[in-house]
Amino acid sequence: MWREYSSGYLKNNRSAAVSVMTAAFISSLLLSLLSCQFYNMWKYEVERLRAEGDQYALMAMYLVRDANDEAPRLVFPLFLLIMGLASFSLIVIIHNAFAVSMQARIHQFGILSSIGATPRQIRTCLLQEAAYLCAAPILLGTLLGIAGSMGLLALLEMLAQEMEGRRASVFGYHPLILLFTLLITAITIGISAWIPARKLSVMTPLEAIRNTRELEPRRKCNSPLLSLIFGVEGELAGNALRVQRKALRTASVSLLLSMTAFALMQCFFTLSEISTRETYFEKYQDAWDIMVTVKDTGIGSFGEAEKLRQIPGVDDVIVYQKAQAKSLLSEENLSGEMRANGGFFHDSGKYVERDGEFFRVSAPIVVMDDASFLAYCEAIGALQRTDGAVIRNLICDVTNPDFRHPQYMPYIKEAGTTRLVARTGGVAAEMSVSDCAETAEIPVIAYTEEVPVLREEYATIDKYELVHFVPASLWKEIERRTGGAKEDTFIRILCREGVSLEELDTIQGEIEKSLAGAYTTESENRIREYETNDEKIQGMLLVLGTFCVLLALIGLGNVFSNALGFVRQRKREFARYLSVGMTPGELRKMFCIEAFALVARPMLWASGVAVLAVGAMLKASYMNPAEFLAEAPFVPIGAFVLSVGGTVALAYYLSWRRMRGMDLAEVLRDDTMM
Amino acid sequence: MNILTCEGVSKVYGSGDNRVTALAGIDLEIERGEFVAVTGASGSGKSTLLHILGSVDKPTGGRATVEGTDLAGLNQTQAAIFRRRKVGLVYQFYNLIPTLTVRKNILMPLTLDKKKPDEAYFEEVVKTLGISERLEALPNQLSGGQQQRVAIARSLIYRPALLLADEPTGNLDQKNSGEIMDMLKLSNRNMKQTIVLITHDEKIALEADRIITIEDGRIVGDERRR
Repeated sequence: MWREYSSGYLKNNRSAAVSVMTAAFISSLLLSLLSCQFYNMWKYEVERLRAEGDQYALMAMYLVRDANDEAPRLVFPLFLLIMGLASFSLIVIIHNAFAVSMQARIHQFGILSSIGATPRQIRTCLLQEAAYLCAAPILLGTLLGIAGSMGLLALLEMLAQEMEGRRASVFGYHPLILLFTLLITAITIGISAWIPARKLSVMTPLEAIRNTRELEPRRKCNSPLLSLIFGVEGELAGNALRVQRKALRTASVSLLLSMTAFALMQCFFTLSEISTRETYFEKYQDAWDIMVTVKDTGIGSFGEAEKLRQIPGVDDVIVYQKAQAKSLLSEENLSGEMRANGGFFHDSGKYVERDGEFFRVSAPIVVMDDASFLAYCEAIGALQRTDGAVIRNLICDVTNPDFRHPQYMPYIKEAGTTRLVARTGGVAAEMSVSDCAETAEIPVIAYTEEVPVLREEYATIDKYELVHFVPASLWKEIERRTGGAKEDTFIRILCREGVSLEELDTIQGEIEKSLAGAYTTESENRIREYETNDEKIQGMLLVLGTFCVLLALIGLGNVFSNALGFVRQRKREFARYLSVGMTPGELRKMFCIEAFALVARPMLWASGVAVLAVGAMLKASYMNPAEFLAEAPFVPIGAFVLSVGGTVALAYYLSWRRMRGMDLAEVLRDDTMM
Repeated sequence: MNILTCEGVSKVYGSGDNRVTALAGIDLEIERGEFVAVTGASGSGKSTLLHILGSVDKPTGGRATVEGTDLAGLNQTQAAIFRRRKVGLVYQFYNLIPTLTVRKNILMPLTLDKKKPDEAYFEEVVKTLGISERLEALPNQLSGGQQQRVAIARSLIYRPALLLADEPTGNLDQKNSGEIMDMLKLSNRNMKQTIVLITHDEKIALEADRIITIEDGRIVGDERRR
């Protein structure tokens, strides 16, 4: 009897069945994706530890703990916690789909109960129905979850392949994971179905037959805004939404979260893209085409600069190495502007150390190959010689926090031209702060504001840095005393203007070929890096966007199940409106307002949050709001909101189609019969 | 002067073997200001007649007019506006809008027409019906009798040509039933309101000026008592 009853109901109420099946499908998809992802994370770690031969850490992965080890091993507890949270969230979300489907039949169960059906029989019937409906979606969702995990892993692998020292991860699966996924999904869905089934089974027959529990407000409803804009239809729509608040809670929360997350994500990436472009790609667009890092090689040991200059397509080559020293400055050495601005007063001691009458400041040294150094001297109008340093004589106003629009001033006092030539500008560079004995006094060829064309930034964090550019031949003499040389040497290569990616790839290949064997090198080219960066951003947008869409889908599923599931109650509600003289047109308007408000509310909240967040981000990054507005992601956000709005509109349209065909006399008669 | 006329009104549901005749040629005339009770057993067709007179349903044959408006000729929108302006419907289960206050429920037909209420008339109606203290309450905060008074107030607010009441006391105890009947009689006498009351309760029917009895979709009795 129950089987016949259930199959009859399911045949005639496909939409309720579809919403339950969708909920089961989404749950199994998410849980399967999570399990699979965690399994692969764990597998990757095990393979990495095996390769590194760390047996103890490997054992710890299996929860075998050394009693003396107090370090937390969070992978398994974290996995269990996230799975628990995911299951709990899914129960909260999807139990509503079952509730709506079951709610629609309260009246029928009331009748069955009045003729002797026990609560247990009703509960069993509902749970069997849930099992029948969910079996196929669970299997499909689990399989697609595995496929999704494979795709996600491949995507992450693609994005992370250039990360240094990272092992390639290979997708894997284990039958036990399938069993675990199916078990946890079955438990999640079982609990989701059991909650409303239990509620329904303990209702009294009279309560169930009358079925008025849900739609009566406990408090007075007010919808002043909708009422003001749309009149009485707006007020009724607002009130109806308020009454359905509990049923639509999942939709409200997930639509709000998905819209907010999507808007924030788009704004953040747009801001970050503008910032990266301005501070990196545009700033260094003409500073480099190809960069080669020659590993563990000092500039003195690298003798291939000329060979590289001969490669066809190469316009300019600078070979350089970086070093770090300290410079001793006295108050008298500072420029008038610098002193007027407080000198080193604004530093808390973090970057500048006081030593008697001297101040010790960082002195980054850029050691350039002699030919490039001479060309640089020529470019800045200095004497072309290799026995001294060129000093970047600039410091930004440290009292101005706007890093995007810094104001510069001369850092130290320049001696007259003759004094420079006469080697009067002594600079002390030293090996360590505590050891002043080993100093190298080198002449200054020029103080300048112009720096060599390199892909380098100066004084970004430590504003008090005094940057020195020295030729390789001089470095050879002072290296022993200053020390602080970095391990690698860099080669900056410029090609002709407007060079294409293909040309750069070819030249890069030639360079690598000519250095192969003698040196260990890593190289990159500007256009490829720009594209890779773009791909990374697109990849991250894709992954995060997918989560936003998934979140929105949960809410939309709730809207569908609610709009299509509460037909009986809403028919009665609409019959009331019609009986007092509301026209079908006014009823349609009310329906449209309801759908509109359902989307507009999270949209307005999300807009508010996004505006505040963008305002804060703009303030923190000192970006001109007009710059952001010119590239603001209105189109993707608009498209997302429109898609959500369109889907909600579709749910309400389908519901309206069912409603408009109702026989008013029939509904009223049904009421009067009760 | 007739406010309502029915000429051979019939209503048939289904076809073939499933054909059910709810009304079979009803001829009826009701004058302005009359208080008419329609009685009959369950399934006799009295509620179907009320639904046709209230333009909630359409006859499958014959002609029904209220103040000269042919009800069969109305489309859905015209029928809704007719219900809003010309008839007041009162049901056994009140059919109040649960999300609106008593005041807003009563004013609903006027609000739908974007008309401002006549405050003096509104006050008179709510005072007469004894609900002036509960205007800001929600329907579910009222007793059954109070809810039915609100439903009557709503049906009277547009000064309709016809008040149609379908078992208005069917869900109430004896005391409240008596009070509701008193209200209906009062509105009939003081406001000259034409009332058609559907009931299966003979005692209630005896309160009306005229009693029409229906059996199997036909009028089998028409007794003028006053």
